[in-house]
Amino acid sequence: MNLQLLLQVAVSGALAGGLFALMAMGLSLTWGMLRVINLAHFVMILLGAYLAYELSTAASIDPLLTLIVTVPVMFGAGAAIQWLFQASRISEFNSLLVSFGILIVVVQLITNYWTADFRQLEANLNPYVRQSLRLGELVLPLHHLLGFGFATGISVGGYLILERTVIGRALRAFAQDPAIAAAFGIDHNRLALLLAGAAGGTAAVAGTLWAIGNPLTPAQGFEWIGVVFAIVIIGGIGNVLGTLVAGALVLALYSVVSLVWSPSVAPLVVFSAIVVTLVLRPQGLFSRRGS
Amino acid sequence: MARRGLALLLLAAAVLAAAAPLREVFGFPTFYLIFMATVFFWVAQSTSWNILSGYSGYFSFGQGAFFGVGAYATAVLMSRHDFDFIATLPVAGLVAVLIALAIGAVAFRLRSLRGEIFALLTLAVPFIIAPFVRVTPALDGGQGLRVPVPRQYVDLVGGFPEFIFLASLAIATLAVAIAYTAQHSRMGWALFAIRDAENVAEGLGVPTFRYKMLAISLNGFIAGLAGAVFAVQVGFLTVEGVFNLTVPLFVIVMSVLGGRSHWLGPALGALVIVSMRDRLAASGFEGWSLVILGLVLATLVLLAPEGLMARLLIRPRAASLVFAAVFLALAAYGGWGAPLDWLAVAMAAAAVVAFLPVSRRRLRQQEARLLADEAIAGPAEVQPVETEPAEVQPVEVQPAANLLAQPAPAPELGQPVIECLDVARSFGGVHALRGVSLTVREGELVGLVGPNGSGKTTLVNLISGAFAPTGGEIRILGRSTRAMPQHRMAHLGVARTYQIPRPFESMSVRDNVAVAIMFGRQPRSLAEARRLAAEHLELVGLSRLAGARPSEINLHERQLLEMARALAGRPRVLLLDEALAGLNPAEIDNATQVVRRIHQSGVTIVLVEHLLRVVNQLATRIVVLDQGLALADGAPQAVMSDPAVIQAYLGKGAHA
Amino acid sequence: MSKPSSALRVASALFVLALVGCTAPAPATPGPATPGPATPGPATPGPATPAGEAIVVGASLSLTGIFGATGIIHDIAGKQFVEQLNDEGGLLDRPVEWMVLDDESAAAGVADLYERLITQEEVDLLMGPYATPLILAALSVAERNGMVLPHHTSVHRPFMNYECQFPGWSIGPTPNEFVPNQLYDALESLPEPPQTIAFVTNETGSTGYVVHGQPDVDEPAALSIAEDRGMEVVADIRYTPSAEHTWDAVAAELASVEPDFVFMSTLGVDSLNLLNAMEQIGYRPPLAFSLFPAPGPLLGAGEVAEGHLSVSMFEPNEPILERMGPEVRAIVEEFESRAQAAGLPYTAFETQATGSWTAWEILAEGVRGAGSLDHEAICDYLLANGAETTFHGHLTFDPADGNYWPTTQGIKQIQDGDWVMVWPADSAAAPLVGPSN
Repeated sequence: MNLQLLLQVAVSGALAGGLFALMAMGLSLTWGMLRVINLAHFVMILLGAYLAYELSTAASIDPLLTLIVTVPVMFGAGAAIQWLFQASRISEFNSLLVSFGILIVVVQLITNYWTADFRQLEANLNPYVRQSLRLGELVLPLHHLLGFGFATGISVGGYLILERTVIGRALRAFAQDPAIAAAFGIDHNRLALLLAGAAGGTAAVAGTLWAIGNPLTPAQGFEWIGVVFAIVIIGGIGNVLGTLVAGALVLALYSVVSLVWSPSVAPLVVFSAIVVTLVLRPQGLFSRRGS
Repeated sequence: MARRGLALLLLAAAVLAAAAPLREVFGFPTFYLIFMATVFFWVAQSTSWNILSGYSGYFSFGQGAFFGVGAYATAVLMSRHDFDFIATLPVAGLVAVLIALAIGAVAFRLRSLRGEIFALLTLAVPFIIAPFVRVTPALDGGQGLRVPVPRQYVDLVGGFPEFIFLASLAIATLAVAIAYTAQHSRMGWALFAIRDAENVAEGLGVPTFRYKMLAISLNGFIAGLAGAVFAVQVGFLTVEGVFNLTVPLFVIVMSVLGGRSHWLGPALGALVIVSMRDRLAASGFEGWSLVILGLVLATLVLLAPEGLMARLLIRPRAASLVFAAVFLALAAYGGWGAPLDWLAVAMAAAAVVAFLPVSRRRLRQQEARLLADEAIAGPAEVQPVETEPAEVQPVEVQPAANLLAQPAPAPELGQPVIECLDVARSFGGVHALRGVSLTVREGELVGLVGPNGSGKTTLVNLISGAFAPTGGEIRILGRSTRAMPQHRMAHLGVARTYQIPRPFESMSVRDNVAVAIMFGRQPRSLAEARRLAAEHLELVGLSRLAGARPSEINLHERQLLEMARALAGRPRVLLLDEALAGLNPAEIDNATQVVRRIHQSGVTIVLVEHLLRVVNQLATRIVVLDQGLALADGAPQAVMSDPAVIQAYLGKGAHA
Repeated sequence: MSKPSSALRVASALFVLALVGCTAPAPATPGPATPGPATPGPATPGPATPAGEAIVVGASLSLTGIFGATGIIHDIAGKQFVEQLNDEGGLLDRPVEWMVLDDESAAAGVADLYERLITQEEVDLLMGPYATPLILAALSVAERNGMVLPHHTSVHRPFMNYECQFPGWSIGPTPNEFVPNQLYDALESLPEPPQTIAFVTNETGSTGYVVHGQPDVDEPAALSIAEDRGMEVVADIRYTPSAEHTWDAVAAELASVEPDFVFMSTLGVDSLNLLNAMEQIGYRPPLAFSLFPAPGPLLGAGEVAEGHLSVSMFEPNEPILERMGPEVRAIVEEFESRAQAAGLPYTAFETQATGSWTAWEILAEGVRGAGSLDHEAICDYLLANGAETTFHGHLTFDPADGNYWPTTQGIKQIQDGDWVMVWPADSAAAPLVGPSN
C-alpha cells in the first residue's frame, strides 16, 4: 500500500469529518447542557441545506452568502423547539419522541415542497465542490476544508464561550446542578433558548455545507442519524472540542478502511471501533471527568 | 392473580385466533387478517423491547439487530438449506438471544454504564451486523434473499394470510404473556428497582446483572421469533430493509406512547400507531399522512408523557364503554365506513374520554393504582397522604425485638464482622485511602469520623462492595470479598444507607422496604415481604406513610426510609453514611433514638457522622480517618482527647 | 411528573380532536389522486370518456423515502397514461382509475399495501411498485392471489419466477451478460479501446448482480467478461448503499491506478459524488459508465460528467423523436409539462418513464386481448400473444426467461450537457465519442 495514498485518504477523511462534527455539535450541546435529545436537529440541517439551495439558486448568489438568512432562521427554529420543550417540562426521552415527530413532519413537508427528486446547486454557483488546495503532494478538497474550517471555528468559539464567559459558566453550572444554579439566580430558561438557538444556527451552517458538497434528497435527514450520534457520544456529550476530534477520527477511519480493505466493510470496522472505544472509555474519548 | 391474568390472556388470544376460520362467516376481507398480523408483529416487537427498556430503563436501539438476525436465520435456513419453517424458529430465537447476551455481557459489565452509552452500544450493533451479512455470501452476499412460502403450514390453516395471522398472533401472545409474567414476578420488581436506583438495588441484594441479562435475552428471543415470521411474510429480505432505524425508532415510539410501566402499554401503542398509519394510508392524504402522524405523535407525548395506558386507566370503565358504544353504534348503523374505520373512530373517542381533564385526587388514585405493587395486589386501599407535616411527629419508642430477634443464631459476641486489612483505594492519581486496617466486631457501634475528604465515604463504599479496593482485602464474617458482586455482600449481611437518600421513586414507601426483604438474605414472597415491611416501618416510625410515594415525604422521613430499607434485608452490619445530614435538632434526636434502637436489637453498626455530639452519644468505639489513614481508634473519650485528632479536626492553631 | 402549561394543554386537546377528524375514512375527504372506488376519479371525464363503473388499478409507489426521487416519475407517467387511456375510450368500455398508495420506500410494508389493495379496496388490476426489493414484495402477494403484475423496472431476472409478472423494462433474461457485452462492444468500436478497467459496485440488488453475478452461483458477469475480452481489471471496489463517507477514498484509489475506463455499477447520485471527489483531487478518468444513475444530477454537473455513459431504453433525442413519429413526441412533451408542473428538476421522459409506459401498455393490451378482467385470461393472452408497445414494438413473453422480452436497450452518453443515444449504432441519435484527451 502506497504510503502517500494512505496519507491522502486519511487527511481528506479527517477533513470530511469536520462537516459531520458540525452536524453533531448542536446535538451534543443541547443534549449535554439542556438534557434534551433533539432529533429535530437533523431536519434543521436538512432544511438549512434546502434553503441554501433555494436562495442561492433563486438569487444566483454564492451559497455561503445564504447563511445571512439561514442562520437566523434556524436560530429561531432551534429556540422555538426548546421553548416547546420547556413549556411542556419534557423528560429527556420524551424529548426524543416529540422531536422525532417533528422530524417526520418536516421531512415530509420538504418532500411535498421540493419533491423527493435530487436537488443540487448549479455548477456555476458552486465553485467549492470541485476545487482543492495543494499542500505539497497532498490535495485538500475545498469543500471539506470549508467544513473543517467552520467546524473548528465554531467548536473553538463555543469552547471559549462556555469556558470563559459568564453565560458559559452559568450554562455549565446549570448542566451540573440545576437546583444550585437556580439558587444563584441563573435564569436558565432564557439561556437555554439562546443555546438551543445557537445549536440551530450551527445546523444551518452544516446544512449549507452539505448542500455545497452533495445533491439533496429528503431521505438524507434520516441517513445521518447513526454516524452523527456516534460522533456525539465518542466526543463526549456536551464537549464541543471532543466532537470535532471525534468527527475527524471517525471519518478518517471510514476512509482508511475503505482504501485498505473495502468500502463495504467500513461501517463494520468503524462501528466495532466505536464499541471498543465505549467499552474502554464509557465517558467518551475526550471527556475530562467520568460521571 | 397472575395465573388468572394469564388464563384471560390466552382466552383472548384464542378468541382472536378464531377470526381466521370465521373470517368468511363474518365477511371480513382477508386484508383484516394481514392488518391484524401487522399489529401483532409490532405488539411483539414493542412488548419485547419494553421488557428490557421499559422495565429496567435501559433504552435499547438494538431491536433491529435482534429482529434482523431472527429474520435472516429463518430466511437463510429456509431458502438455502431447505429447513422446515417451524424448525427455524428456535434457531431464529436463539441467534437473537446470543446477540443479546453478547451485548449484555459487554455493556452490563461496564462500571458506571450510563443510559446513553447503552443506547449507543445497541445502536452500533445493527451497523456492525448489517455489513457482515451483506458481504457474507453464505448469508446474503448483497442481493437479498427470497424466502419460500411454507406450503404445508399454509395449506394446513387454509391460506397465507391465515398462516401469517396465526403465527403473528402466537408470537404476540407469547410476548405479552412474558411481559405480564415478568411484571408480576420477582423479575419485575428487580427490574423496576434497577430502573429507579440500580446501585441501591444491587446493594440491597438484587442480582442486577443476572436480571438485566435475563431481560435482554427475553427481548432478543421474542424479537427474533417475530423476525422469523416477518421473513416469511415479506418473502424477500434485503439487508437495508431489515437492519435500519425504522424498527427501533417505531418500537420506542409505540412503547412510550402506550406507556412503559404497564405490560399492556406497548401493545396499546402498537395498535394505535398501526391503525393510524393504516387509516392515513387509506385516506388519500398522499403527502400529508406522515405530517399528520408526526403531529399526532408529538402531541400525544406532550399531552400524556406517562403514556396512553396511564391516561386510560384513569377512567378505564368510561373509556372502554365509550369505545364499545361508538364501535357498536357505527356497526349497527352500518351505512358508513368499514370496520377498521369504526375501530379508528372508537379509539379516538376513547382517547378523548381519557384526555378529559382530571381532578388531582383522581390522578393520584390512578397513580397509586399504577404503582407496580397495586398491579399485583389488585386495587388495594390507597391511603390519603398528608404531605409536609408541620412538625416532626414524635416516634413512639416500641421495642420491636420480636422482629429483630429473628436473625439467624447470633454469633458469639465479639466475633469479627468486618475486617479491613491494609485497604487502599485510589481514583486515578488520587489516593482516597492509603492502607487502613480496621476490625469491627459483633455488637459494636463504631463511629467513623474525620475531616472532609479523609476517606470515610470511600471506606463505606468499599465495605459495602460498591467499589473494589485497589489494595488490601476486606473480609465479611471471615470470608474474603475479593471479586464478590455487591449483592452477594448484601446476602452475607452488609447493608448501607446513602447520605442523600435514594429511594425507589416509583414504589410506595412500604414497597421500598418490601423489595429489600424479597431480595434480602432470606428471599421472601411479595405478600410475606409486604407483611414484614410493615413491621420495619413501625420500627423507624414510618407506618402512617406506608402508602405514600417517596417524592411525597420529607428529607428526614426519606432518611428513616433508608434505614428501614437497609434493615429489611436483616443485615449483620449496617453502614450508616451521614444519616443525619441536613436534619434539624428535633429530627436529629429522633434519628439518634432510632439508631440506638437498631443497635440494641442486635445489629452491628458503623456510623459515619460529622456531628461529634451524636457520635459521642452513640458509639461504643470511634475510628478517626485523616488523609486516607486511620489516625486513631479506641474508646470515645480517649479518641476525642487525642491531640493528633484535635489537630486534624481543628488545624494547627488549635493546640495552643 | 411533568405538567404541560395550560396553553399547551388547550393546543393539545385541539389536536386530539383533529385526530378524530383525521382518522375519518377515505370517502369523507377524497384525495385528488386516490379516490375511493365509488367516486369519479381525477381522470376527469372528457367527452370521449366511457361511462360505467371504473376499472381500478392498484399500486404502491415510493412517493417518499430513499426511492422517492424515481417513484414520482412513475407516478406522473402512470397518471398521464391513465388519462390518455380514458380519453381513448378506457378499457372494456369502462373508465380506468389508478389508486396509488405511498409505500415510503419500505419493502416491509409493500406486501401489506398490496394485500389491502386486493382484499380491502378490491381493485381489479395491479401495477407494480418501484425498485427491485419492493417489486419482489408485491410479486409474492400477486402470486398468492393469482393476479397479473406488470412492473416498471426490476431487471433482477433470477428472482422473477412468477409466470404472470411482466417487466416493462427488459435487459433480456441475462442482464449480467447482456449489459457488459453491449457496453464492451461499444467501447471496442472506438479508435483506441480501453485496455484497463476498474469496477466500483454498489453491493446490492441488481447492481451487484450485473458485475459479480449471484453470490452463490458461478456465472459470467461484467467483471469476468471484461477479463475474458482481454481487458485488465485494475480495481474491484465494492461499497454499500449508505456510503457518503467513502467517496474520497474510492476516488484516491482510482486515481492511483489510472484505469482507461471506470465501470460504475451505481444507483442514484453515487456516480456524481464519485466524479466530484475525483475531480477534487485532480483526476478525471478518460471514460466512465454508470449502470442506474439518477439522470438529472449528472447533467447538472457540467463538464465533469461530459462523455459519461449509461444504459437507456429511450431518450427523447430529436433524431429518435423524428423517427418514432408524432405520437411519441406528444407523449414526451406531455410528460415534460406534467413533470415541470410537479416541480421536478429534471423532466425528460427517459428510461424510467418508458418502463412505466410499457408496463401500462402491457396491462392494457392484456385486458383488451382477454376481453375481461379475469387474471388467468389476461396472463394467458399475454403469454400467448405478447403485447404491442409504443417504444419497443411487439414484445413476446417466455416464462422460461422470466418474461424478459428481447431487449431493445442501448447505451447513452452525455454530449454537450444532454443524454444522447449512441449505441447500437444503427438506432443511435449520434455516434459514440471517445476520450478527448
